[in-house]
Amino acid sequence: MAEDVRGASVGHQVCSAAGMADFGISAGQFVAVIWDKSCPAEALKDLVDKLQALTGDEGHVSVENINQLLQSAHKESSFDIVLSGVIPGSSIVHSAEILAEVARILRPGGCLFLKEPVETAVVNNSKVRTASKLCSALTLSGLVEVKELQRESLSPEEMQSVQEHLGYHSDSLLSVQITGKKPNFEVGSSSQLKLSIAKKSSPSGKPAVDPAAAKLWTLSANDMEDDSVELIDSDDLLDPEDLKKPDPASLRAASCGEGKKRTACRNCTCGLAEELEKEKSRGQMSSQPKSACGNCYLGDAFRCASCPYLGMPAFKPGEKVLLSDSNLNDA
Amino acid sequence: MPTPRLLVLFGSQTGTAQDVSERLGREARRRRLGCLVQALDSYPVVNLINEPLVIFVCATTGQGDPPDNMKNFWRFIFRKNLPSTSLCQMDFAVLGLGDSSYAKFNFVAKKLHRRLLQLGGSALLPMCLGDDQHELGPDAAIDPWLHDLWKKVLDLHPVPLDLGIIPTGIPLPSKFTLQFLEEAPVTHSEEQHVARTDPQDPPSELHPFLAPMVSNQRVTGPLHFQDVRLIEFDITGSGLSFTAGDVVLIQPKNIAPHVQQFCQLLGLDPDQCFTLQPREPGVPCPVQLPQPCSVRRLVSQYLDITSVPRRSFFELLACLSPHKLEREKLLEFSSAQGQEELCEYCSRPRRTVLEVLCDFPHTAGAIPPDYLLDLVPLIRPRAFSIASSLLAHPSRLQILVAVVQYQTRLKEHRRGLCSSWLASLDPEQGPVRVPLWVRPGSLTFPETPDTPVIMVGPGTGVAPFRATVQERVAQGQTRNFLFFGCRQRDQDFYWEPEWKELEKRGCLTLVTAFSREQEQKVYVQHRLRELGPLVWELLDHQGAYFYLAGNAKYLPVDVSEALMSIFQEEGGLSSPDAAAYLARLQRTLRFQTETWA
Repeated sequence: MAEDVRGASVGHQVCSAAGMADFGISAGQFVAVIWDKSCPAEALKDLVDKLQALTGDEGHVSVENINQLLQSAHKESSFDIVLSGVIPGSSIVHSAEILAEVARILRPGGCLFLKEPVETAVVNNSKVRTASKLCSALTLSGLVEVKELQRESLSPEEMQSVQEHLGYHSDSLLSVQITGKKPNFEVGSSSQLKLSIAKKSSPSGKPAVDPAAAKLWTLSANDMEDDSVELIDSDDLLDPEDLKKPDPASLRAASCGEGKKRTACRNCTCGLAEELEKEKSRGQMSSQPKSACGNCYLGDAFRCASCPYLGMPAFKPGEKVLLSDSNLNDA
Repeated sequence: MPTPRLLVLFGSQTGTAQDVSERLGREARRRRLGCLVQALDSYPVVNLINEPLVIFVCATTGQGDPPDNMKNFWRFIFRKNLPSTSLCQMDFAVLGLGDSSYAKFNFVAKKLHRRLLQLGGSALLPMCLGDDQHELGPDAAIDPWLHDLWKKVLDLHPVPLDLGIIPTGIPLPSKFTLQFLEEAPVTHSEEQHVARTDPQDPPSELHPFLAPMVSNQRVTGPLHFQDVRLIEFDITGSGLSFTAGDVVLIQPKNIAPHVQQFCQLLGLDPDQCFTLQPREPGVPCPVQLPQPCSVRRLVSQYLDITSVPRRSFFELLACLSPHKLEREKLLEFSSAQGQEELCEYCSRPRRTVLEVLCDFPHTAGAIPPDYLLDLVPLIRPRAFSIASSLLAHPSRLQILVAVVQYQTRLKEHRRGLCSSWLASLDPEQGPVRVPLWVRPGSLTFPETPDTPVIMVGPGTGVAPFRATVQERVAQGQTRNFLFFGCRQRDQDFYWEPEWKELEKRGCLTLVTAFSREQEQKVYVQHRLRELGPLVWELLDHQGAYFYLAGNAKYLPVDVSEALMSIFQEEGGLSSPDAAAYLARLQRTLRFQTETWA
């Protein structure tokens, strides 16, 4: 029902607002129209049709949902005009990332026309900006000649749209139309000021992701479950070098000490560990070991290598601890 | 983003790769870099094209395979349709963990590194190949590599001059905080589990089934060195379903004396309850932990206090130690120079977290409870091949468990946590319930009936084949050939009467190898070669499927060698052709292995 209401008022408004000439669109131009779910579908279609009539066959009209804009990763400097939020009834708030992206995809000298609800009262909130903050935002994104074109009050339907889509209500809102231009010199990555947050080029100067490649990757990644996708044979990535075993000498710790002893595996379950233990304890039983350092009671971490208490838990100094043989004969 | 961010993605089977990743995360934070550490399969791979700096930490497991928590990623990254410029934004590095005694040493890391290059990524430095075979373990390769890595990363993102690096002696904030409750909550119950969102879901790690144990019998003879148990569970009403080759996961607990000792050392009241809160938003709490939880439950069911601590444990403990002598020692054990000492003290004798804390009592007593989950890893479930078929034993699940027990130079025997716990449970003394769930196995069986199946399963490796034979016989498939090896027919010939019965009915051909009944060792691979003509006939002329289950290190190599000799002798193939024949069998799933470390 709301759509019908909107459709009726929008139909009226498109005819009266016209404003196509104000956008300065001519044949052969590349235009991008940015929309979101607050835009009435009929009006969007209407606008696109009118734009296409103006750009003709040589030009092109791209329609972009604001949430897809960054992922679409258009080639930089590929649009003459970008229109956003201009459809009557929409209530788009343009984030810094979006503005920076628009600045990137505009060609030098290209223009942005945007419409956004703004707050006229002094209110501490982040959802709707003041007109001057909005103009600053465009400047920060790298656009020049930023100016306010017109401001008008919101229709009841537009107020409702703001409530619905932005979750914000105020009696002091206005709808403001602003324009900005990409500077006429190509400065590459520095057309975005350091303060902008989106899509900084990395210090190592990496190329931008080719939008076609990004699309393919995204499509594939959104279909992880698909088992029928062909895989390359990962074994093809290997070469004979990969099968070579490391030199055993390289596997020893820096200080080796005695020659290689027969050691049991960490999780020996074959009995070798027990056999080795028995051998060792037989050797120890013959001599009466004495403490060399006096730290015996502290635990293995502090005992010296010849400590007779190695392997036993810490105990209280002076406590009588028997080095019994019974432990050694456990199965 | 205010701070540059490092993404560390890992594939970890036993927790080592995860531990290394968390170490990377801490070192990043000490250098004032934001860092996100995540398992590969938990990361939304669609975002990878936008990531500027990624470190991949990947273990290689089994037969050159990726760990479970990166299997989905592995299937994705090799898709033919991924464009070669996809990762042009990415600087990456690959750290691999493996064991050079296996032929496919660090194959996952090697393949990943090359694939990332193929997809347009730039390598910051050559890959690191951590090796379990090194005396000092993977750290021998990791330490110098990390040194180089940080040099490269700090070139890109230097530490802000006004901040500087956080030195290693100072602890980083704990991941979680524990809020202790004044009184025990009214509904507190030891059996309380996280409520299931949908009771129709089959049991899982988050909601295991508490299976009543029906019987727990030793099946090795009294003279045999190892205690092996046949354990049966009642799974009525569990919603669990499985077929031959599937695997049951069991979540073990610590025994009460260990729990008590730990609480005493740390000055914790086992009956106190707490809630757990992450310090940073977006960090998940361990999903299995109920809230609120008691200290006793935390220590007995979640903290792996009988695990062997890694270097990171000593690093953190050093930061928290108030005692001069102990702190010095702990710092030594955390340093690069002290790694040999640490190996001697801890890794080689398999000293546990609990035993280490006993050696450092002043530090143990000063551990803030907030740091418990940073310090002690979570108990991991253990997997066992299911040894019974629902077609032969409906509503029942059987497993064959070898109790792990061995000696190092520590006087107290080393024991496997899960196998010892299971062995200690006696259903005849009273009701016993064990948390478990099932996951599919990797073995697939032939669809055409009358296809012969050859199974080689020495020792406890025979468990999945016992299930297989039961299932096939119930379905009327009688062409079953089992090669079973053990030490002595009267000591560890599992299921001997059952096999004999099936032989009499013509459902099974059994070939045994008793390794210690004669002067020389006789193993299953010898028997395979003795029966070369039969094996060749079955494989080459009758489309037989060949299966292998058991120890990962030697069995696959030994059996593959035996098969290739058979192909040469019986089939007249040349040596390279024999290898190609075996490779073809593998590709068409007619040669399959289920092996464990």
